[in-house]
Amino acid sequence: MASRRRMLLKVIILGDSGVGKTSLMNQYVNKKFSNQYKATIGADFLTKEIQVEDRLFTLQMLILPFLQIWDTAGQERFQSLGVAFYRGADCCVLVYDVNVVKSFDNLNNWREEFLIQASPSDPENFPFVVLGNKIDVDGGNSRVVSEKKAKAWCASKGNIPYFETSAKEGINVEAAFECIAKNALKNEPEEEIYLPDTVDMAGSSRLQSSSSGCEC
Amino acid sequence: MQDADEQHDLSDDSDYAAAKHQGSGMGVLSESVEAGGFDENDAFEVVYSKENVAIHPSQHIGERISGQLRVRKQRSSLFLRWVPYIHIHHEADYARNLSKSSTLAKDIQLYVINDLPFRCIRCIHRYIPPLAWQYIIIVLSSGLAYPPLYFYNGGIREFLATLKQHLLVVRSADNVNVFLVNDLQDPLQRSLSSLDLPRAVPNSRASSVKSPTAAFAFDEPQTSGRAKTNGTSGASEFAEQQAVKSHDPAFEISLQVLEKFSLITKFACETTSSIFHERQNQNCPSFEKISGENSSSKVLKSDKMLEPSHPLQFDNSLIHIGEPRQHPLDSRELATFFDSEGRVNDSLALRKRIFYGGIEPNARKEVWKFLLGYYLYDSTYAEREYLDSVKKSEYDCLKSQWQSISTAQVRRFTKFRERKGLIEKDVVRTDRSFSFYEGDENPHVKLLHDILLTYSFYNFDLGYCQGMSDLLSPIFFVIEDECESFWCFVALMERLGPNFNRDQSGMHSQLFALSKLVELLDRPLHDYFGQADCLNYYYCFRWILIQFKREFEFKNVMRLWEVLWTHYLSEHFHLYICVTILKKHRRTIITERMDFDTLVKFINDLSGKIDVDEIVREAEGLCLYAGEKGAACIPPGTPPSLPSDIASDFYPDNGDL
Repeated sequence: MASRRRMLLKVIILGDSGVGKTSLMNQYVNKKFSNQYKATIGADFLTKEIQVEDRLFTLQMLILPFLQIWDTAGQERFQSLGVAFYRGADCCVLVYDVNVVKSFDNLNNWREEFLIQASPSDPENFPFVVLGNKIDVDGGNSRVVSEKKAKAWCASKGNIPYFETSAKEGINVEAAFECIAKNALKNEPEEEIYLPDTVDMAGSSRLQSSSSGCEC
Repeated sequence: MQDADEQHDLSDDSDYAAAKHQGSGMGVLSESVEAGGFDENDAFEVVYSKENVAIHPSQHIGERISGQLRVRKQRSSLFLRWVPYIHIHHEADYARNLSKSSTLAKDIQLYVINDLPFRCIRCIHRYIPPLAWQYIIIVLSSGLAYPPLYFYNGGIREFLATLKQHLLVVRSADNVNVFLVNDLQDPLQRSLSSLDLPRAVPNSRASSVKSPTAAFAFDEPQTSGRAKTNGTSGASEFAEQQAVKSHDPAFEISLQVLEKFSLITKFACETTSSIFHERQNQNCPSFEKISGENSSSKVLKSDKMLEPSHPLQFDNSLIHIGEPRQHPLDSRELATFFDSEGRVNDSLALRKRIFYGGIEPNARKEVWKFLLGYYLYDSTYAEREYLDSVKKSEYDCLKSQWQSISTAQVRRFTKFRERKGLIEKDVVRTDRSFSFYEGDENPHVKLLHDILLTYSFYNFDLGYCQGMSDLLSPIFFVIEDECESFWCFVALMERLGPNFNRDQSGMHSQLFALSKLVELLDRPLHDYFGQADCLNYYYCFRWILIQFKREFEFKNVMRLWEVLWTHYLSEHFHLYICVTILKKHRRTIITERMDFDTLVKFINDLSGKIDVDEIVREAEGLCLYAGEKGAACIPPGTPPSLPSDIASDFYPDNGDL
């Protein structure tokens, strides 16, 4: 198991219903966007083979809408099903819709939920990445969460890398997931994996100026 | 994960040392090294006895063999004994009905554990699954294992706690549920312990002690004031060696072998007992030889023994094909089920007919209202017409409740806004590739929204939850009428509403029942899930939550649902469908040794690849095969069983009709 573990990077994708988690994952893996994605029931799971420094990894991406509904009391259904799914997570991606303020406000809930359920050994340093999705909608005119506000929140939570994305247009998706993979790798214990100081991943030059980028 | 209950844990506590000291009192000096077997004529002491410890030689519930587990002590050596109560719990008649492979009385003798010296035991693997009986697997030094011993009355902790009073038992550093056994008081064991056997590793807490020898310091009291020589020095030497070897790959390999063995209850049982019987009869003559060999080659040898007859080939008998599917019920045939006033007098016959054949699309609209429980079978045409009109005005009233909420109100009504928002988000992504819901501004999508929002007012406590739009969509497509679809949906939710309970009780009870059914109908798969920590069955969550809606294309979902809704063979036929699908893929699941994540992905990816007719047919066979034993796996009240008071709740004015 130990040798297999090394090859797998497990990423949990969380965020309010309809912010585009499935779309982001599909854009990254299949380079496709569809208006007809169904609401995820249970858990959605995609994998992608990635290469870092001549080493192959399987990036496992898991959407967990078990934690689907936040009602006003902050309670949601299917909550405790999470634990089994969170096990062994290497990175957690928090997604919100830049056009829906509530989805941004809930980032804190999702982050805390993750830390409770996954209970990583070093919660302070567990890698998160935040994605502000749907920047394409209405040419950006309907957006209600500014980049500045999002970045401020990310900075306050220990400099979480932040990306502004459009799953529909494919904007910044590749760069975001490269950062996610890098951060997931960073989470691997030293003795399990040798990680050079700089990891130069293919395509990282495409990182767009609109994002604060990956600071790992 | 730490066990909640640590007081019986096998830590090196003071009780342990004391007990050990005490236990070692007699016979240390009087032992003769060549002695090995248990001698019935000699004095012995029963140090442990447990009733209702069972072996499950096969997946057939009728072949479970209960017995008595004992640990006896003779000349300071410990012996394990399990003897079946042959005549009591072997339900031979039942087993004969089910299978040709029923265990004969003489075979039962194969399973007897006949005073097995503990020095022949490498380790004890403990399984305490949350949803099933706890069991242990005894692994021999050779790497072979006995079949699981199920503790029907619990008490594995007590068993292990008793052992630790007489033996050196330590937790494996690699697996908290593996307990390594060293009968250091057994003279033969003592001499063997000086050999370099990859056996015990200190448990994780013991290893936190500074020096590796200190972890075994509880041996020390024995030596005080007593002329002990090779015994203790051998033990501490051994401990030092083992501390160094705590990640011995050979040990890991042998655990894998153990896991393989436990997959194949019957096969492992036959193999191990026949082999072991030989050895037993010869008083373990080959033991020294085997233990002198390189341990990994031993493992390979035992591994090879598995090959000629792959464990997974044993399930041939498990494929149960039901009756071929009949042609669907059409309107003409349907008419024959009604009497002149419109009553369905033999609703069982109708349900049976649908169970085996389904319904023609153009007859669905009428029949689904009965199947779902909106119409009562014994209602007349006139009564149903009246019901429709009453329910129409009731629906309009419910709908107007949310329609009358003004924009100003909405602004101050967060809960409503959020609920409406969720529904809006979901209906636009429900079956949009299906022609009925296709395209922009599709009116059917708007009606899905209206029905769901109205339902969330009808059942405000449950509200709206993801998955509901999936359940409504085929109903609305078939029923077409908004109001009737609503009431059909209400009727369905009387059964499936608990799936969306906030405390998850509805889902958990179904997952629990599923686990019990797999345990009954596919023991090796159940055991595998146990080892892989997959007994929560969360990977079947979507199947159950929305009745396989995402697993089949739209038209096949309708075919499946009408079969499920007949509740003909079982109200919980959907669980048999789950078991059937899992069984069909058991070989892949087990041979690829899927872990939880892999299993989630694998099960998700089955979507669209399942043949609905085939699976219904096989599930039918399985359901019949399981019979009452299957039904007994499902606790009363498990959804979609109706709560007993529902019928009156749904038809409060029934008497007036």
